Amino acid sequence: MKFHTTDPAAEPSAVFYKRCTLDLQSGKMTLADLPCRNLEDVLGGFGRSFQDLAQRRITAAYCDENPLIVNTGLLTGSTAMTGMRTYFSGYSPLKGSKAGLPAAIWSTGSGKFGAKFKWTGLDELVFENRSATPVYVVIRQSDSGPQVELKAAEQLLGLSTHEKIMALQKEYPNAHFAAIGPAGENWRTNYMGAVALSTENQLKSGDDKCRFAGRGGMGSLMGYKNVLALVAQADDRLRPVSTAVKQVNIKVVKGGGSGRLQPISRGGGGGTWAAYDVLQAFHAVPVNNFRPQGNALPEKLFRENVEKDYHLQSQACYRCGITCHNYVYEKNADGSAGEFLAKFDYEPLNLLGTNLGIHDAGQAARLIQLSDNYGMDAISLGVTLSYALSYNQRNPQGKILGGVAFGDYDKIRQLIIQAGKGHLPEIGKGSLRLSHQLGETDYAYHVKGLEIAAYQPETNPGYAWAIAGGHMSMATYGLLTREGKSDLDSWVQGITESKLQIVGFDMIGLCKFFDIVNGIGTQMVEECLKSEFELNLSAEAIRAAVHRAFLRGLALELRQGYTRAEYVLPDEVFADPNPNIKLPNIATREFFAELEERVWAVFEPQLTGLLPE
Amino acid sequence: MQITVKLSGAFRVGRFKEQVRTYPSGSSIQQVVDSLQLPEQILGIVLINGVHADFTDLLHDGDTLTILPIVDGG
Repeated sequence: MKFHTTDPAAEPSAVFYKRCTLDLQSGKMTLADLPCRNLEDVLGGFGRSFQDLAQRRITAAYCDENPLIVNTGLLTGSTAMTGMRTYFSGYSPLKGSKAGLPAAIWSTGSGKFGAKFKWTGLDELVFENRSATPVYVVIRQSDSGPQVELKAAEQLLGLSTHEKIMALQKEYPNAHFAAIGPAGENWRTNYMGAVALSTENQLKSGDDKCRFAGRGGMGSLMGYKNVLALVAQADDRLRPVSTAVKQVNIKVVKGGGSGRLQPISRGGGGGTWAAYDVLQAFHAVPVNNFRPQGNALPEKLFRENVEKDYHLQSQACYRCGITCHNYVYEKNADGSAGEFLAKFDYEPLNLLGTNLGIHDAGQAARLIQLSDNYGMDAISLGVTLSYALSYNQRNPQGKILGGVAFGDYDKIRQLIIQAGKGHLPEIGKGSLRLSHQLGETDYAYHVKGLEIAAYQPETNPGYAWAIAGGHMSMATYGLLTREGKSDLDSWVQGITESKLQIVGFDMIGLCKFFDIVNGIGTQMVEECLKSEFELNLSAEAIRAAVHRAFLRGLALELRQGYTRAEYVLPDEVFADPNPNIKLPNIATREFFAELEERVWAVFEPQLTGLLPE
Repeated sequence: MQITVKLSGAFRVGRFKEQVRTYPSGSSIQQVVDSLQLPEQILGIVLINGVHADFTDLLHDGDTLTILPIVDGG
């Protein structure tokens, strides 16, 4: 990016970003330095891409007019810790309104691809139309600026995410990669394709330790465009870390925001996996399609139980001191690491483990590995599978998918493989479509067509207003469990103000664990921007830009046909309250009706003027 | 007074899962937390008899105190 101002809030048009528009049909490429329209453009990520998506009227995700926008955030590739994010945006094949229109979505992941992409000199790559044949795209730095090249990719067809990355690595040293798996290649029947992003750990060890931009089927959109992979080849361009950023990074590592994610040996909780222990205290760990039973079953996947039989290793992203990854390996007889199995994060572990009735760590790990290798979003996959299992339990006379049941590892494994290969549209197209097809929608655990994360909806009415995934675009998932808030005022304030700020991380290029409690409108971010780019940007201005970006997402949902009746929780939550969850019951129709009224009363007047006429 | 203390997650490492412990009358949750030397950066949720409480709240004989690390998913 180029800065001709130190005050981007007042003079956003004096900040320029470099975009390459690539017409996949003709091969034509256009490079341009574009002025920012506002601070959201400057910050980047979905703050910019959603403004561009809003300029198009898209009625079907798989159409040539639907772009795939790949971009970074202002602090991607900077010395600020966790500045590794890449964003993929477009209209989603998976998430859509009942009016039949696709919703705009973004998805993001770490890994080193984002930094390498930034270091090529490019800030944004927009794919238009689709290629007639499979291609991959090489983005390189050069003395005359970034260069983008299309290459034939038949040799990559059918390879797993990891295999594609490792194959490309042989050809492109000093590069990082983004790749889809077979699921994305089979976009016609699999709408939940993810994009895998390569990591230093992966390239050095040869183990499949990718990171994923999973939500909303951006890997399937990439597959539709016939783009199998992206290669970003550039020298590392990290400047020496300034004293100011060093101080911020120390706060990130030791501060309350991320300290909890550190390994237990460093006084942390041991990554997101620790959520198991905490939520189980309330019997709020999803079991068998979000129906906790009030028993000890989830404890089988507690860390303390898994480490008896498996070798666990804590690792970090490139240059990150948080070290939140928990890698699970087979344990050799001498206790050392055997074969690498999977990374245990709370969401995939629960949704491909306990919530499917799988309580064996090795089996859960294998299912996570399959989901990763085929390149599917673990959340959407797990929740759609759990819906199918629940359907079979409720319909013993009319079972589907070979009668698969909760806990039936072998059959579930086969379903994942078949879905990944595109042979199982019932699963690949997500829980909304499957539940409508079967005529039983109450216990399909999605909101607005996107499957919810592994937090019981009884504990999080805020899911209804999340704009791009239940927990990563609305941070109310801990408001009841963590903060004990069960009053309407706290929920209205959370949804309409403080907890929506989490989406700021999906603009600026930082991981949420940089400061998950406070968001990006903070002195820490102010200091990083000052040090990296000599920008004077107040925390208030940043928070206002994040708020506008969130509202724009909400406005865009409404423009794509969502009615207020779609901003709801799965009906089972109200119709059949779960007595086993040991928390105040805020999931009543009365509470939700009052919440709706008050939330919309705040949002509605704020939604005008955010979208093009 | 007798307090049943339940620990969760990382707090159990080198400590215990559940223990009945004796504290002076009028002790606060913070005093119990201090006595157990729990890592501060992950101190998150405290419950008295299953209900969310504050670290300054006072305990009473026979209470069950649950101490949980702070939770964040991803």
